Amino acid sequence: MDIFVCMKWVPDTSEAELAVDADANDIEKDDLDYDMNDWDRFAMEEAVQIKDKVEGKVTVVSVAPEDAEEMLRECLARGADEAFLLADDAFEGSDGFAVAAVLAKFIKDRPHDLILTGTLADDDGGAQVGGMLAAMLGVPVATLVTKIEPRNGKLTVTRELEGGLSENLEMDLPAVVSVATGLNEPRFVSIRAVRKVAALEIPIMGLDELGLEGSQVGTEGSRVEIVKMELPPEGEGAEIITGSAEDAAARLAEILREKGGIA
Amino acid sequence: MMKNVFVLAEHRQQKLRDTTWEAISAGRQMADDLGAELTCLVLGSNVDPMAEEIAKVCPKVLAVDDARLENFNSDVFISAIQPMLADKGPYVLIMGNSNSIIDLAAALSVSLDAALATDCFALEVQDGKPMAWRQVYSYKVNTLVAFKDAERIVLTLRTGSFRVAESAGEAGTIEKPDSPLGDEPARKRFIEFVEAEKGDVDIASADVIVSIGRGIGDEDDLDMFETLADAVGGVLACSRPIVDKNVLPKYHQVGTSGVEVKPKVYLALGISGAFQHMGGIKGSPLIVAVNKDPKAPIFRLAQYGIVGNLFDIVPALEEAITKGK
Repeated sequence: MDIFVCMKWVPDTSEAELAVDADANDIEKDDLDYDMNDWDRFAMEEAVQIKDKVEGKVTVVSVAPEDAEEMLRECLARGADEAFLLADDAFEGSDGFAVAAVLAKFIKDRPHDLILTGTLADDDGGAQVGGMLAAMLGVPVATLVTKIEPRNGKLTVTRELEGGLSENLEMDLPAVVSVATGLNEPRFVSIRAVRKVAALEIPIMGLDELGLEGSQVGTEGSRVEIVKMELPPEGEGAEIITGSAEDAAARLAEILREKGGIA
Repeated sequence: MMKNVFVLAEHRQQKLRDTTWEAISAGRQMADDLGAELTCLVLGSNVDPMAEEIAKVCPKVLAVDDARLENFNSDVFISAIQPMLADKGPYVLIMGNSNSIIDLAAALSVSLDAALATDCFALEVQDGKPMAWRQVYSYKVNTLVAFKDAERIVLTLRTGSFRVAESAGEAGTIEKPDSPLGDEPARKRFIEFVEAEKGDVDIASADVIVSIGRGIGDEDDLDMFETLADAVGGVLACSRPIVDKNVLPKYHQVGTSGVEVKPKVYLALGISGAFQHMGGIKGSPLIVAVNKDPKAPIFRLAQYGIVGNLFDIVPALEEAITKGK
């Protein structure tokens, strides 16, 4: 089975102090740490687990700046056979549609049975590249998948719905499957595993190598444009209790007692 | 100029879902702002009762009846919707952002050759052009997006961000076109629904919930949190990352994909407040959060908060409560 995994390189914004840039068009990213998108980590692990079951080849690909090489190398250490970095200054500013177009161009002419992605990314939360890629390749998609079983050239997948409900579906291959977090336990990567792949080549492909036009990528190839970004207004929401841990805890205990929060 | 605003009705097990009513109210506003016509599409099996219910709040309903549309299978729905909208001129298509529609929206937008914005919490029209507000970067930044000169736009709406449509007086008209589905077999086939396993605690019935999230770090010894839960007479629950790491079983998970709860008091410890989590606690009268990031979205929903280190505050809180008893 020829398996592709599409990875995204994202800034870690979960606990960072964020500021909007001078054009109010994005956030200041210079001081942020980057890592693989958490959802994609599970897609990567699932690819290797499927390969162990049914045999095949796992190819990892990312549309990202050259810094993302370390993420792809980590994917090789996690068990991928090959990794490609699709990097070009022209890709900057691409929305989900333009990123999906680049990935589709890369995958289309290579043998592919299963393409795995995370369902969404923590930076723009669009949940769209997987579905768009599927439509561009002319194959079906399933998102928010919590279980994948390959069987007789088809897949049985479990999708998460709301309120604890799930659904089971059967899919023909080739297909795109966008996974939910928690469908497996991503392996620990040892320093030895990283060393073993240190010398492997990770080819970098840009516009020309992929045979794309400048008008298909970046802001020009995007269908959505950012008008502005802003931080939500201050002063909304919680009354913050200040003081030492003991003082704040004592005050909170008082509030809980007043409001019936202690049963 | 956009001539049409379409809304896609969502249903599950023969019942319309709330996303439908929110999408219709957002669609009506958008149609008014654009001077466009509002039409709701409902595709299902035995679709008449659903179509009639929708006609009470929507001026025009297009209802397609086909047994193959009984379940919200994205592959089948795309095959049906694409030909229905092919000759409808410039339009905006509005849907909820449920887990079924997350499966549908992105691939559908490519099939329709449309621009897409997902999980929008507000919509507006400027100079005759639709625009949408979304949240990005861990839900900490608001962004307004536009769609260049796109003639087809697909928008999905954050659940609970738009009011539920009310009757517009006169009932709408219902048209029933033939099913646009051909004979090609679906490439994705629904098998069955699966209910979550029930656990030994039912967090939905608890009055007080002590809930832990990613902020507990790699800690898998939950003693400190269990002791606090005991002290307040509550139960221990969690956000998704804790279940993903197998620290607690799924039936402890609060959120739209886990359990929706409505306790008297919800104490969120190290939970940043991903939207899916917030959706599961919105009805709680008192939400208290402890988090080290002062900008964590949970503080926008909570009434009280402490910014600081959990591992200092939780034992202090437990002591303050036990001492006061």
